[in-house]
Amino acid sequence: MELNKSLVNQDTIYNNESEIEFIIEGFNKNVDKIKKKDKVLRVFFLIIIYVFLIFFAFIMMIPFYWMFITSLKSEVANGIYIGLDNNFFIAFDNIARNNYALIFDPARFDFFTYLWNTIIVVVISTIGTFFVTIFASFAFARLNFKGKDLTFYIYLITMMIPSELFVVTNYIQVYRYGLLTSTWGTYLAIMLPFIVNVFYIYLLNEAFKQIPNELYLASKIDGKSDWKFLWKVMVPIASPTLITVIILKVISTWNAYAWPKVLAPQGSANQTANLISVAIRDFANFTYVEGTRIFVLQSLQMAATVIVTIPLIIIFIVFRKYIMNGTSRAGIKG
Amino acid sequence: MNEKNNYKAWIYLAPSLILLVVFALYPLIDTFYISFLKDYNYLTGDSSGFTLENYEALFGIIPAPDTIAQLQGPINAFFEYALPNTLLITFVTVPISIALALIIAVLINSIKVCQRFFQTLFFTPYVTNIIAVGMVFGVIFSHTGLFNAIFNLDKYWVENNPETTYWNAMFVIFCDIIWYQLPFKILIFVAGLQGIGKTYYDAARIDSASKIKQFFKITVPLLSPQIFYISITSFINGFKEYQSIAGLFNRPGTSGNSYNLYTVVYFIYDQINAGSGHNVRYACCGAVVLFLIILVFTLIQFYISKKRVHYGA
Amino acid sequence: MKIQISNLGKTFEGNLKKNIPDTVAVSEFSINIEDGELVGLLGPSGCGKSTILYMISGLKEPTTGSVYFGDEDVTDLAPEKRGIGFVFQNYALYPHLNIYKNIAFPLEDTWIKTFKQEKKIIKFCTLFSLKDRFNEVIDLINNEKRINKKISKALVIDKISFLLNIPYSYAKFLYKYFLKKDFNLEIFVLFLKENIDKEKEKIKQKGFELDDEYYLLKDGNRVPYKRKINKDEIDLKVKEVAKIVKLEDYLYRKPSEISGGQQQRVAIARALIKSPKVLLLDEPLSNLDARLRLETREEIRRIQQETKITTIFVTHDQDEAMAICDKIVVLKKGKVEQIGAPQEVYDDPKNLFTAKFLGLPPIGVFYGKLKDGYLYLNNNKVLKVDSIEDKDVFIAIRPEGYKKANKDDEFSFSLYITKVISQGRDSEVLALNPNGNDSFKIMIRNEEKYSVGENYFKVKPNKLYVFDKVTQERIYLNEREK
Repeated sequence: MELNKSLVNQDTIYNNESEIEFIIEGFNKNVDKIKKKDKVLRVFFLIIIYVFLIFFAFIMMIPFYWMFITSLKSEVANGIYIGLDNNFFIAFDNIARNNYALIFDPARFDFFTYLWNTIIVVVISTIGTFFVTIFASFAFARLNFKGKDLTFYIYLITMMIPSELFVVTNYIQVYRYGLLTSTWGTYLAIMLPFIVNVFYIYLLNEAFKQIPNELYLASKIDGKSDWKFLWKVMVPIASPTLITVIILKVISTWNAYAWPKVLAPQGSANQTANLISVAIRDFANFTYVEGTRIFVLQSLQMAATVIVTIPLIIIFIVFRKYIMNGTSRAGIKG
Repeated sequence: MNEKNNYKAWIYLAPSLILLVVFALYPLIDTFYISFLKDYNYLTGDSSGFTLENYEALFGIIPAPDTIAQLQGPINAFFEYALPNTLLITFVTVPISIALALIIAVLINSIKVCQRFFQTLFFTPYVTNIIAVGMVFGVIFSHTGLFNAIFNLDKYWVENNPETTYWNAMFVIFCDIIWYQLPFKILIFVAGLQGIGKTYYDAARIDSASKIKQFFKITVPLLSPQIFYISITSFINGFKEYQSIAGLFNRPGTSGNSYNLYTVVYFIYDQINAGSGHNVRYACCGAVVLFLIILVFTLIQFYISKKRVHYGA
Repeated sequence: MKIQISNLGKTFEGNLKKNIPDTVAVSEFSINIEDGELVGLLGPSGCGKSTILYMISGLKEPTTGSVYFGDEDVTDLAPEKRGIGFVFQNYALYPHLNIYKNIAFPLEDTWIKTFKQEKKIIKFCTLFSLKDRFNEVIDLINNEKRINKKISKALVIDKISFLLNIPYSYAKFLYKYFLKKDFNLEIFVLFLKENIDKEKEKIKQKGFELDDEYYLLKDGNRVPYKRKINKDEIDLKVKEVAKIVKLEDYLYRKPSEISGGQQQRVAIARALIKSPKVLLLDEPLSNLDARLRLETREEIRRIQQETKITTIFVTHDQDEAMAICDKIVVLKKGKVEQIGAPQEVYDDPKNLFTAKFLGLPPIGVFYGKLKDGYLYLNNNKVLKVDSIEDKDVFIAIRPEGYKKANKDDEFSFSLYITKVISQGRDSEVLALNPNGNDSFKIMIRNEEKYSVGENYFKVKPNKLYVFDKVTQERIYLNEREK
């Protein structure tokens, strides 16, 4: 068959020699101009970034500020309810000095009792978690025994299951055990289901596993027992993780709401055994009666939330490094 | 491995193991069991055989078999409000908070001056008490509060008032949840970003990839393990939302006897000791439903992640 | 592209509060690099060679001095605007992208300067021009099917595209037609021709003409046109550089699934794909094992010579630099010690540092003396020199600079040999340093027999260098040496 050969140039356009000419903005142009433009752009974007960050930082901080400033405002003037203003600042003379005194007034709100309850529960349950976590992590990280892998998997699985799945029947349990009839029984009921936290065991287990086996063997040669090795070597080495665990436990107990609320609801006999988070929301009497009308005093509410928040802020400021490291490590491990 | 070591290990494990079995494993089975019991009452321990009617009542197929009419409301609200609310809250707050956190984290990572300061500032809300935060948001969004004042509005957002609409309430809930969920995500993302080698960006610069291209083609894929972790945990937390609503409203509805702000977990905790011991079986059913939802979504995400997540950056 | 660097300097600011003084990483670095040269920056670690490279790339800003690419001052230009390729020490391959996408990454979304074209007609004309080679394609398809029944369609298409040097989409077009049941080569060629005519007609209707390279002509001129690079062009370009670096068979793997040497070549391919005017390599071989390093450095040389891109690379390994560079720059503590062709620097070191740094086994250095027109090594006259003032000096002798002598010969001296290591063609002799208790190496030819113990040598004058004891600068012994 005859084909028109002259039709096509045999050197196809796509071959190794054919170079594509890229447009590189700025090359072969006035460099000074571009340099200036780049600089202006960079400064411009930097300003935008900082404005954006400051704006969002402001949004993140405003609830704290508003809580604090509101707790200093007065809503009642000369026996008449006047409500709150929305001023961002408050003159020193206008600070309502007795707001904080009022929330500690037992006739209004038994703040001391609830604080005391919370402190007891935080201390005891943290101590409990501390030992239980160390023992379990030690067994998993250092000791060999039959069924270790299976047991560890069972632990991990309980970490994946939402706690709501067992708190329902936990309630029936603690009710049956008769724990809800007394103050200390209620404390126990609040603590027991949450003493074991598999996530903490997992974290500490990871830290323990970092400790080289040679240390363990060396201590064996020196005739040290496992018990001594645990407390003299492993716990001190893993102390950053342990501190993280303790802080997370303290914070979560301090903030506990749903479970304690179920155990000792408003109006129940053991309600005075409840914790501070539940109390400020459910049991508080932050009202002002004016004739037949009842007003909720938000300034007192905020004073109460300030009291609840301050310990957390202090913990955060002191242990910021541990909290941030522990949390981000959890995230990186996934 | 010797016998002695064996028994010693179990002694170390005993405290946690006993507590786990008594307060997690046994109750787990018990919850499933009770959810199928007919007319169960925890006060008396009575029941009359197995049934599916608890689930049927929960999903509105049959009226709840209760003698007390006033308890009908919350049970019906499970399917009508609690489930849709839970899904709505999750699917609105999780994507928004992840996107916002990612943007803020990238910006924090891109600056030099005050980087630590901003990092700490954005992390502070992580340790706050959700109930307390809810109460503060309640004050800010009250009718005479800051939000209305700033935007010059005359709306009811949180009050027990007929003018407090469902969507107003939801808006406040979204704000509250996104606010307290951001810090954790920002922290994780910043930590992840700092783990990405600087040479990738140097290389991208030489290749004259734009910032936008760098973000989508380098940052997001290399951050995908963190994004995956965050989305798993935030979906789970989203499905378990309860405390923010308790903190904001301290009641399950916008007004009166309404239950339109119920979530699944709110329902569960509310029903545990409601109805003189009768309603605990509905709480069990709710817990099982919650478990299944979380299970399904987690599996879906693991399935997606197989294709999209790149480990070993 | 010519590169002209003058007076380049970099100072890292210290912190007075923390008692960290300013650090001068680079000072007064100047060099002229001709178009197409391969230049090695050579020096021990911490000598500032990577800093120089980063300043040339624009990733670091110099404190002083200027960099010219051709006639352009690019000193303050952002790196992406310099038209360079950069190979990072750890390669910086994107772990989530496969090799193809890694190489294509710099091309995506880039704008190119070209003339108006019509996509369809290019495709048909290109294929038509290849009609004589369609038999090869058919053979290839049949072959692949026979060898491996499970081979994926995409891989076969890729092979066609490599074979004919055409983009993937063209190859796919061929593949689809060639696999049809009623396929007939002649009819297919006719079909192509019909299409070409049809497209030509269309173009004419639009008022354009077509030139030999398929650019559209308006009134006899090509129409300038700016557009984003298209997929076919990216594909061709990726395959072109993949061929250069010999990675055709690894395009669809992730970086973690290939070896270190291959990763290295991917990094080079990625740097090459935009046809950079300057290629910069930062310690490109340091992450490879010894054998691979030898292979890869030859590979770099080959690629550089094929592409003729001006290349600068950084290394601490003198052997590497000697082997492949047109020009080497010996650096010490941020300052240039010597610049020149490798052999030139080796034969004529300007100072003791350069003499010691180049050459393997290393040069032997001894205390010596210039006195009365003779050079003394340990009180032995070893060389007659033109009259130079008397002073203490360092004498450096290359390992190959010794020859056997008798005790009574003029200028002979004795060394104590501790070990003779035969290496086939040559032998290596370990001798005690007359100045100290360490030993140094001497290279000798096998026919000269040595035994452990006292031996007599003479030096070859052109392998001996003398350096001032204080300044460590070279002292030229005769006029002709200079």
